[in-house]
Amino acid sequence: MEFKDYYKTLGVSRDASAEEIKKAFRRLARKYHPDVSKVADAEQKMQEVNEANTVLSDPEKRAAYDQLGQSYQAGKEFRPPPDWDAGFEFSGRGFSGAQAGDYSDFFAELFGRMGERTPHSHHRTRGEDHHAKIMLDLEDTYRGASRSLTLRTPHVDDKGQIKLAEHKINVRIPKGVHEGQVIRLAGQGGPGMPGASAGDLFLEVHFNPHARYRVEKKDVYATLPVSPWEATLGATVKFPVPDGLVEVRIPEGSQTDRKLRLKGRGIPAASPGDLYLVLEVVLPPATTPKAKEIYQMMARELAFNPREKMGV
Amino acid sequence: MSREINSISLEDALLSLDELATSCNVNREWVIEHVQCGVLLEDAGSDPALWVFGSHSLIRARRILALEKDFDSNPELAGLVADLVEEIEYLRKSTYPKKQT
Repeated sequence: MEFKDYYKTLGVSRDASAEEIKKAFRRLARKYHPDVSKVADAEQKMQEVNEANTVLSDPEKRAAYDQLGQSYQAGKEFRPPPDWDAGFEFSGRGFSGAQAGDYSDFFAELFGRMGERTPHSHHRTRGEDHHAKIMLDLEDTYRGASRSLTLRTPHVDDKGQIKLAEHKINVRIPKGVHEGQVIRLAGQGGPGMPGASAGDLFLEVHFNPHARYRVEKKDVYATLPVSPWEATLGATVKFPVPDGLVEVRIPEGSQTDRKLRLKGRGIPAASPGDLYLVLEVVLPPATTPKAKEIYQMMARELAFNPREKMGV
Repeated sequence: MSREINSISLEDALLSLDELATSCNVNREWVIEHVQCGVLLEDAGSDPALWVFGSHSLIRARRILALEKDFDSNPELAGLVADLVEEIEYLRKSTYPKKQT
């Protein structure tokens, strides 16, 4: 395990005041906010910033960390000496395991003593709920799917120290879930006190970007390329959709951006969404003399001015 | 091979006020305050016992909670930021993919 320099993470000096630490945290929390940040690894950075702030904004944790940190540098191999935190009492604000996946092993090693230190721990019965995101492919919601997840959950060892342990679970994803929906896994959250049930795991569903489809709630959109004669004269064309292949009738006189609605072929929820095919008229390239001749004939014969409404 | 665990959509088992509070690790008064000031659960009735919360409410409550904690924001400002984040998410989704590949 490597020693983590929380001061470096927040970009403050070791004698920074509480106000300076708060300001540094807010600046970085804004920079790496996972909802809006464009930094590639914003979520990971935000976790590191959160962890550093959790320690440095708490006077007791900070004092204990400072005492320990005198002989360590960032990245140096770290093993805390026995009873390194003797004399410090974390007042029940230690590592509760509530967001176990959000903290590093280093943090768990230092502050995972809640089992023997938390004065109110006897009040806690049921384990805490955990929250995470899960990325699915759009096709998964049409068929239902299984996903293997690796969870980091805390457990209390025989010394009362909380350790993070990884374990794998296979999750059955229900058919018909959609973007932004939360699915709940009973009993897969934090462990409860002896005799009490574990918390639940809540997974927020997101879809991986798809080359062909985009999703708005339960409706699915795709671009359907058509030739000028298919759009103008009408045609029946084949098109791949997430759950197979459909034959679609292009109405005569269609233009680019015309939407064709396939009712009930969107996300197959209890109340299913619709699938919208948005037409895009694609012009054939004029790379041969014959093709150029046809375009020239159209120019002569059709007398078509696409800018007529602009008065030019 | 570990056994397969079933999951259930939150819309099939909506959360009560107390369940939402437990899940977000806040007290029930925090939830009541945020519903009453209009940043959670639009069109809620006056009786908290009848409130139920789905996926959107859970995600929004956790987002507002994080904003309040990280920036000492008041509920209204956190609600406004949550509105803007949701709008950004919608716009990003609605413009992708731009072209058929």
